[in-house]
Amino acid sequence: MALKRSHIAEVQPELPVQPPHSLPELKAQLASSEAELRRTAILELSKHPDSTALLTAHLKEEPSAIVRETIFTALARLGDATAIASLADCLRTEDANLRNGAIEALKLLPEQTARIIPNLLADQNSDVRILTISILESLRHPKVESWLIEVLEKDPHLNVCGSALDLMVEVGSEMSKKAIEGIKLRFQNEPYIQFTADLALKRINKA
Amino acid sequence: MSEPTVITEAEFQKFREYFYRKTGISFDDSKRYFVDRRLADRIKATKSDDFRSYFMLLRFQSSGEECQLLTNEMTVNETYFFREDHHFDCLVHSILPAIVKHKKDSVPIRIWCMPSSSGEEPYSVAMTLLERWPGIHDWDVEIIASDIDTGILNKARIGIFSERSIRNVPPHLLRKYFTKVGHDYQICEDLRNAVEFTRANLAEPLDTRNYRQFDVVFCRNLLIYFDDISRRTAAETFFNALNPGGFILLGHSESMSRISSIFNVRRFPESIVYQKPTIIP
Repeated sequence: MALKRSHIAEVQPELPVQPPHSLPELKAQLASSEAELRRTAILELSKHPDSTALLTAHLKEEPSAIVRETIFTALARLGDATAIASLADCLRTEDANLRNGAIEALKLLPEQTARIIPNLLADQNSDVRILTISILESLRHPKVESWLIEVLEKDPHLNVCGSALDLMVEVGSEMSKKAIEGIKLRFQNEPYIQFTADLALKRINKA
Repeated sequence: MSEPTVITEAEFQKFREYFYRKTGISFDDSKRYFVDRRLADRIKATKSDDFRSYFMLLRFQSSGEECQLLTNEMTVNETYFFREDHHFDCLVHSILPAIVKHKKDSVPIRIWCMPSSSGEEPYSVAMTLLERWPGIHDWDVEIIASDIDTGILNKARIGIFSERSIRNVPPHLLRKYFTKVGHDYQICEDLRNAVEFTRANLAEPLDTRNYRQFDVVFCRNLLIYFDDISRRTAAETFFNALNPGGFILLGHSESMSRISSIFNVRRFPESIVYQKPTIIP
């Protein structure tokens, strides 16, 4: 036994180019009890331009975390409005894995996600607003600071403002000072807000 | 000539936190000069007014292009024999024993080095197997090394390396496997013939669809150069390429857990590596 030269095309002969499966065929494959088959169907669906609705419909039914991750990656690659809306909808679910997967996928799409941020920050559900701020944390977009300022100025919820303030410590600039000073006045009896706001101001003044 | 931008302590801290979160690369205070120099260069190159405006570009540019360029500057793009040698210890002491323990067939063990670069890594794997893994007497092993750059693949096939490149090769291996060629060293024909070098673009599914049934993938210090979606796609590609229970090794500053959760983390005494589940749960 020894090192053996492998000729990749010989060891693994060129796979026959199979005609692409139709959407109905792939939809049927999504119902398979075998996770590997469902994953294969998703990988193939991700090459179909019209597959977003099928993928989003399957997302919440998919029991395997690994296959779900493949769906998230496929939706991020498709990146159309339906995919974004579906990912945003996952922020409302009670399933933490689904929620976190959606957040990670949305972060991959700064431009597309930016379009829905104002609506998400205005959502009636404070948990959705907090999760939206966690998307902003690593969303590469020039409006992040402006959105955070708006939260500090308008959002009535303590935890939402606290989350926004946390992020302000990192991204806050001179333009945020007024909003940070304002939040200190709005939540005068909240030590965490006072502490974090002071830290954010200190960082801005030092920069 | 204008004075280079001075980076303040607060700015260094801010940058360090951000860069760590984005790349997993952490700079301690001893790297301050290294970081400052590169930041100042990029501030000048992007015609940014100061650190503040450069940081905004870095953080919020939707293409992520500047972040990528800076990452390239901040990483030492250099390869050499037995780089991150704990991975080779891990290969012979933990990974290969784990593979053969569950291997039910006699087909060769397959190792994929992606990227190949100029060949130092696949040849290091080959020498490690021949010199340090007793299982080589019982198993055939195939090493495939791929890269997108055909020029670098030709260099790898020729196998001539500089003194700098072979600096970690122990003298007895240097004598055994290399021949001096002028100021450089050429690896022996047996090893050159043992490694299959192929061109493949990891980001192109058609390129990688023949890459299957691997037991081990070395993908070190490549994914840091990818954007986030490409990293996720690459993780799916490696998942497809590996046999159930196969392992993937990343560079010291990379973490699969930060890219994707489809692999399991395996903590071996020598290193943390990632394993494809034996069945998809």
